[in-house]
Amino acid sequence: MAVGGWICLLAPLAGALLITLAGGRISRRTAGWISTLSTFVAFGGAVTAFFATWAASPDEREHLSTAYTWLAAGDFEVGFQILVDPLSTVMMLVVSGVGGLIVWYSMGYMGGDDEERRYFAYMSLFVFSMLMLVEAGNFLLLLVGWGLVGLASYLLIGFWHKRPEAVAAAKKAFVVNALGDATFVLGAVLLIWETGTLEYFGVFERVDGLSSTTVNLVALGLLGGAVAKSAQIPLHTWLPDAMEGPTPVSALIHAATMVTAGVYLLVRAHPIFEAAPDIQHLAAILGAVTLLVAGAVALVQWDIKRVIAYSTMSQIGYMFMAAGIGAYGYAIFHLMTHAFFKALLFLAAGVVIHHLADEQDIRRMGGLKDALPRTHIAFLVGTLALVGIPPFAGFWSKDGIISSALATGGALGWTLYVASLAGVLLTGAYAFRLYFAVFRGPPPEHAQEAHGHGEGPRSMLVPVGFLTLLSTIGGLVVIPGVWHPFTDWIGETAEALVEPTTAQDYLTSAIAVALGLVGAGFAHRAFRDRRQLVTSPGAWRVLEHKVYFDELYDALFYRPAVALSNALRSDVEEPIVERSMEEIGSGTIQVGGGVGRLQSGLLRSYALAIAFAVVVLVVVFVAVR
Amino acid sequence: MGNVLVWAVWFLAAGGCLASGVAVVSLTNPFFSALALIGNLASLAVLYLLLAAEFLAAAQVLVYAGAVMVMFLFVVAYLGGKADAPWVGGPPLLRTAAVVAASALLVEVVVVLGLAWGDELSAPAEVADGFGSPASIGELFLTDHLLAFEITSIVLLVAAIGGVVLGTAREREEAA
Amino acid sequence: MDGPDVGWYLIVAAILFGIGSLGVMLRRSPLIVLLSLEIMLNAGSLTLIAFARQQGSLDGQVFALAVMAVAAAEVAIGLGLIVAMARREMPLDVDRASTLRG
Repeated sequence: MAVGGWICLLAPLAGALLITLAGGRISRRTAGWISTLSTFVAFGGAVTAFFATWAASPDEREHLSTAYTWLAAGDFEVGFQILVDPLSTVMMLVVSGVGGLIVWYSMGYMGGDDEERRYFAYMSLFVFSMLMLVEAGNFLLLLVGWGLVGLASYLLIGFWHKRPEAVAAAKKAFVVNALGDATFVLGAVLLIWETGTLEYFGVFERVDGLSSTTVNLVALGLLGGAVAKSAQIPLHTWLPDAMEGPTPVSALIHAATMVTAGVYLLVRAHPIFEAAPDIQHLAAILGAVTLLVAGAVALVQWDIKRVIAYSTMSQIGYMFMAAGIGAYGYAIFHLMTHAFFKALLFLAAGVVIHHLADEQDIRRMGGLKDALPRTHIAFLVGTLALVGIPPFAGFWSKDGIISSALATGGALGWTLYVASLAGVLLTGAYAFRLYFAVFRGPPPEHAQEAHGHGEGPRSMLVPVGFLTLLSTIGGLVVIPGVWHPFTDWIGETAEALVEPTTAQDYLTSAIAVALGLVGAGFAHRAFRDRRQLVTSPGAWRVLEHKVYFDELYDALFYRPAVALSNALRSDVEEPIVERSMEEIGSGTIQVGGGVGRLQSGLLRSYALAIAFAVVVLVVVFVAVR
Repeated sequence: MGNVLVWAVWFLAAGGCLASGVAVVSLTNPFFSALALIGNLASLAVLYLLLAAEFLAAAQVLVYAGAVMVMFLFVVAYLGGKADAPWVGGPPLLRTAAVVAASALLVEVVVVLGLAWGDELSAPAEVADGFGSPASIGELFLTDHLLAFEITSIVLLVAAIGGVVLGTAREREEAA
Repeated sequence: MDGPDVGWYLIVAAILFGIGSLGVMLRRSPLIVLLSLEIMLNAGSLTLIAFARQQGSLDGQVFALAVMAVAAAEVAIGLGLIVAMARREMPLDVDRASTLRG
């Protein structure tokens, strides 16, 4: 069991190191192969670990493997340890599997870029970091992975570093995530203080003994980190800008894996959250708010990638909601299916962008159904999965979440239920808006045509094909009323707090599918009438400006910080610090000049000085005695 | 009676010491100053004898007065007229300050001595007959103070080499 | 012990030391300065020997002997310097040798 886990973790690291150390000595294509193959080796390791875990009896499915004691300070000790259990094996499979497909796709997408080797080194670094995050056996190693994925994200968003927008976006991502990292660390420190350990099992055993203030603060700290990493409101502003990175990066990091790290954290640390129910419900509420706001904003975006980005934000809102009410199995299930269809959508969008020579504005797209037939099918499948039309993957997972909200009951449950159903309506609308704009209708007058090597290289189309397949059948691991091995599997690590009945499931599904089709219908009607979905100009403006979050943060944080810096510079730095430095300098020169005058060169005055010194010293010695 | 003799000898020696010291410092002809120093050394030798340091007294006369001062006299003779030392004092501030420093030091010493006199200084230890004899000093040099002995010899060696170097440099200068 | 106490010897040594230091500080001829230095050294030796007598330990005398050897070495070098100065027609005046001026 552990061997598979270690191979899974270390293979991408080896790949990254190999590419880095080889430098210019290997061709760009070789770098791509190294990265892809190392990720697939990791997938092999994950599969091994999964089967080994499956083969073991249910009591023995948690396997903690420590390489060495990394940090020891007094009684506190942290080891470099990985945990192989049902939850982590699923995450390993998703990260390495989807990651492998995306890295393979990058070989075609990024082929010909001057800095391809750097790209693949970063990609392997990212895969390693994400695997460290999900395989960690203690909070400290989780935090290490957490920080490293942030770093990899920064490096990859700003990959085309000559573009100022990309650099600015990378900085923004890093800074917002730093805020979440800070709260996470504070929570971890509190854990060390109160429980004396950071190992999962150690902490979870001691959770009951902690005061409610402590548990709430820790949970809040962890939630802060999760919210930043998963781009939920209010720390979401970085995700749309992160689309400046290459499309495979958006697919891997900002759809399939990194942004889901927050959800993973919520599920992994569920004992802490269960002991702090207010915070857990806060997570659910944030998720619901995000899914609605993001869904609404997606209705008016022009950039194809930004629409998909807001869609990601919205879907993660669903996952947060699920984790917030205790439906951990469905949260992870949706994480997995979302990885499939969101990556699919991004990669298909990438094919489109590639085909149209880097055009990303959907107003300048259209009628690509005939030019890109396979991509068209793929995109359609992805859209159907996203909206939640059976039998595609999204249907099974999303409806599971919504019916769990129904099963929760109470004020919270009903609010979440209604919100999530409204979200389905929005999802249908924006998703099909996107589909129609890109693939249907006549091509626009100034359509950009591309390099005409067909739809795309095989390295791009084959992964898309795989993902299409997964988005079609990937959801069939949970069929309500028939079988649910997936949620059972996750339930061994994190037992669900709420289970919807089969009746609730079917009822919810019916409503959700209906709403999804209604939303699609709206989109279709708008498309046919050549108008927008949102007609009121006021609403339009608010949504186009992403509900003015960026402007709000600018006024609240950025402007005051700049003003403070300027004030400090003109009132403190220059008059006080710089002036005193000058004073010290000139004072030293003056003193030096004065001392210099003492050196008369006369031997006798030196002798006199010695004599006087002796006189003084004698007095001192006598007095001290 | 013996006591009176000792006191008399002491006064003579101490007086000679101080007088010759003043002479060394104040005479203008360095030759006479060197001779005065020889007198000083001799008086000191007498004082050493009174302090039961026979070997040192002998060494003082033989080495110091006999060898070092003779070397001094040779150099003075060599320098001839150039060695004249008129009493030009220097800046008046320096002169007063020097006098002040010297007297301050003297006062301090007297005070310290006064403070300590009552207890210890009036009761010197009993010494054996062999105290200060060459045998006892030699024994110390070769056992407890062997390191000092060896280092002193190294110092002398270095001084000899230094002298030779200074001398050779002179000759090379002349040749060039 | 017959005769004066050790303290008297110490006073003589102190006065001798003062005389020697005055000579060092007040005279300009290097020869006289060297002689004054000798006087100071001898005063120190006298002190050592007086204390050796006082304590009953020969260490003071051993020290004084070492002082004598060092003084001899120092005089040799000092005289060498003076002769070198004379050779170069430099004035034998310590105030004129002031190139250490800072």
